[in-house]
Amino acid sequence: MTLKQEGRSYRHIVTAVIIVAIFAIGAALASVDFLAMHRPDVIHPSAGLTGTGMLSDYFEEIKGTPGDTKLYFYDSGVPGATVLLLGGTHPNEPSGFIAPVVITENLQVSAGRVLILLQACASGFTCTDPFEGCPQSYTLQGKSGPRKFRFGSRVSNPLDQWPDPLVYLHYPSGQQLSGFETRNLNRSYPGRPDGTFTEKVGHAIMQLIEAEHVDVAFDLHEAAPEIPIINAIVYHEKSEDVALGAVLELEMEGLHYSPELSPVNFRGLSHREWGDRTGAMPFLMETSNPIQGRLRGRTNEDLIVKGVSERYKQALESGALRIEYLPEGEPLERRVGRHIAGFKTILSVYNDAHPENPIVIENLPSYDELMANGIGHYLQ
Amino acid sequence: MLFWVYVVVAAYLAVVVGIELFSERAWKKQIAYAMILVPLILRVLLIK
Amino acid sequence: MSLELIILLAMLATFALGVFVLKVPAGVSLMAAAIVGALVGGEGLPVRHLVEGGFGFLEAILIIASAMIFMKVMDATGALGTINYALIKTLYRWPTLLLIVIVVFVMFPGMLTGLSSACILTTGALVIPGLLAMGMPRLAVGSLIAMAAVFGEVAPPICIPVMIIGGGVDMPYIGFAKPLFLASFPLAIATAVYYRYRYLGTFDITTVLSRLKPPVYDKHGLKLFIPLVVVVGYLIVEQVLPEYVPHLGVPLAFMIGALLGFGTGEKFSFLKVSRSAIRDAMPVMAILVGVGMFLQIMTLTGVRGFLAISALELPQQLKYLTVLIMPFLGSAYASASVIGVPLVFVFIGKNEIVVTAALALMAAMGDLMPPPSLLCAYAGQMVGEKNHFKILRQSILPIVAALVVGLAIVIYAEEIAHLISAVSGSSY
Repeated sequence: MTLKQEGRSYRHIVTAVIIVAIFAIGAALASVDFLAMHRPDVIHPSAGLTGTGMLSDYFEEIKGTPGDTKLYFYDSGVPGATVLLLGGTHPNEPSGFIAPVVITENLQVSAGRVLILLQACASGFTCTDPFEGCPQSYTLQGKSGPRKFRFGSRVSNPLDQWPDPLVYLHYPSGQQLSGFETRNLNRSYPGRPDGTFTEKVGHAIMQLIEAEHVDVAFDLHEAAPEIPIINAIVYHEKSEDVALGAVLELEMEGLHYSPELSPVNFRGLSHREWGDRTGAMPFLMETSNPIQGRLRGRTNEDLIVKGVSERYKQALESGALRIEYLPEGEPLERRVGRHIAGFKTILSVYNDAHPENPIVIENLPSYDELMANGIGHYLQ
Repeated sequence: MLFWVYVVVAAYLAVVVGIELFSERAWKKQIAYAMILVPLILRVLLIK
Repeated sequence: MSLELIILLAMLATFALGVFVLKVPAGVSLMAAAIVGALVGGEGLPVRHLVEGGFGFLEAILIIASAMIFMKVMDATGALGTINYALIKTLYRWPTLLLIVIVVFVMFPGMLTGLSSACILTTGALVIPGLLAMGMPRLAVGSLIAMAAVFGEVAPPICIPVMIIGGGVDMPYIGFAKPLFLASFPLAIATAVYYRYRYLGTFDITTVLSRLKPPVYDKHGLKLFIPLVVVVGYLIVEQVLPEYVPHLGVPLAFMIGALLGFGTGEKFSFLKVSRSAIRDAMPVMAILVGVGMFLQIMTLTGVRGFLAISALELPQQLKYLTVLIMPFLGSAYASASVIGVPLVFVFIGKNEIVVTAALALMAAMGDLMPPPSLLCAYAGQMVGEKNHFKILRQSILPIVAALVVGLAIVIYAEEIAHLISAVSGSSY
């Protein structure tokens, strides 16, 4: 080898080292952000809390895994109905998480009991989805200072379930969905004890519903403004009377919800499988969330909290698409307010229909109070 | 189990991409190899 | 001019500058475009977003790398050359049939995996030497294989763009086989016939065969095909009878197939073969990482929403034009997700299954289009054409034909649904 040749080969090693070093710095900086997603959110439950447990208490195998998550008990000690409230099934739907947080930090129960699973898909809170450009967290001003909450992924973290199949085959129906949905908790019910990570979480939730004899179960969500099932209460056929009664009552309060019957042939969803396979009456509620929408403009924390999107306003004005979006935006307090109003009203209608098995809850803000005072007023 | 098999596959590919990066003489192509290396390594390290 | 449009133009200009002036790989240009987009959009240098975007196609990167290693092993053992030789020797008397068989053969991996790039990497790589040896021009061969890959991605049983749209509108993947067949096979066959008469002249079979790698069947026998049979067999069984086979995933199936290559044919070094595979796959893998960054920054800065709303706000009488915009998002999956999902709502009232199948065809053509021109880049790589935009130019006629067919299916979705149900007896 001549000196010239040696020089050339040396040069390409030098450029390689420089390039690797630059990319390593970038990867390290990004890694700091990625790893920060594993820090849990801090919750301050109200004085009404009577105990806590873990989801793994109902299915040992998820103990110590990222699928395990805290269960909050609010037991009045007075006989009555058992209610399960699921938040964070989809961690990229903030009102589906913050509404249960507000409930957890304020709730008092005087008959029956309420069980709250704030982060049903705990794994999904540890990452964000590629291509979506979403922030990893957002801050709300609580009574004691700023409160930071994670904004996660619609599905379980791939680090907990990998690889995805090309086609997700729902168990036990055999229904086919795109491979990504294999990590979607709300396509995984009833789950199975020897299934995937997400199916195990689904199975654990089914076990919880059975073991605690849950009478009424809620699953709180959000959806893109262009999705037809929005500002809606989705109900199983056995919850129909209560759902329709609640929709009517909410309408009288000036809040419009469209009642949506759970499709029989769309499997794996909470409102279908909980209703078919357990004694619980399931309800799933949706609010309009611009940060999930495909027409949204700049994607940032403001869009989560203020819910103002010029692009959706433009779509609303031009009528390009049928959307559920208010010209002034869809702020988080409105979305959280709707969820809490729906929760309270459904339980109130349930009480009218089942006076022998009451659930009496107190100290939750009304929709108008949330709109007037903001969410922070109801956070510690 | 399958998860760890995929980690091994990703690790093997990362090694081969790394070898190619250091054997490549054109810096423009070295950048391309480095781009591919990042997701492979972060997945193998269970960071993302 | 809106800020989003300025950002988009800055991104496209950076990409063009990178590819055409600075001559850096397309993937690197896409990354540079993403960085410029973020800077112009006032986001600074969002390192987390860039790295996260690079993860978007990680599964596809694994599939491409493993499929490439597998095909290199098949080439090294002599299996590839032997099959190619046999295919041409058997069908050379009927060139039209030969080209139709070749196109359907190339589509096959895409039909099973839903991935267009798998077609070019596997069966495409297998038939390219034969087509070239028969005297078909390089660009025509690349274009034919790229088009077959698009049709393979659309053809049933697995069509990922439909699943992505379905995931966005809560529509289960049921009843799509016939509309997808209609949106893919007639076009594929027409393309094959067109290329046969336009580009395949007369050829002397002895000369053609002499240009191909000699078959090694006599030396190694049937065991030469064990890896191929195992991989293809597994991919078929996993789709047809998924409840009876363990889920391994496509990359692992290819890696197992590659390891099975030992002892079935000519000797090879696994590391050497892997290095050669990664070298060949590098441009496309880098494009996948780069396009992931590009898409992430488009979303972050609001450009994605700007494109979607601009497409949807075309005047009522021009709303079908929105469908024609789909391919120009430059990626089938991005197009299906960003424009495909809202479009299903725009066309509410028409048969949504037929409409979605047609939208999948339009989205799939996005894989051919710039900025990434993924399939053209791959086909170019395979046929030895450095400027992959020449492959795109060569493909204009079949692309236009496919656009017309896709649009017609959307316009006449109701009538087509009636026709399918009348012919098949099932309700649509």
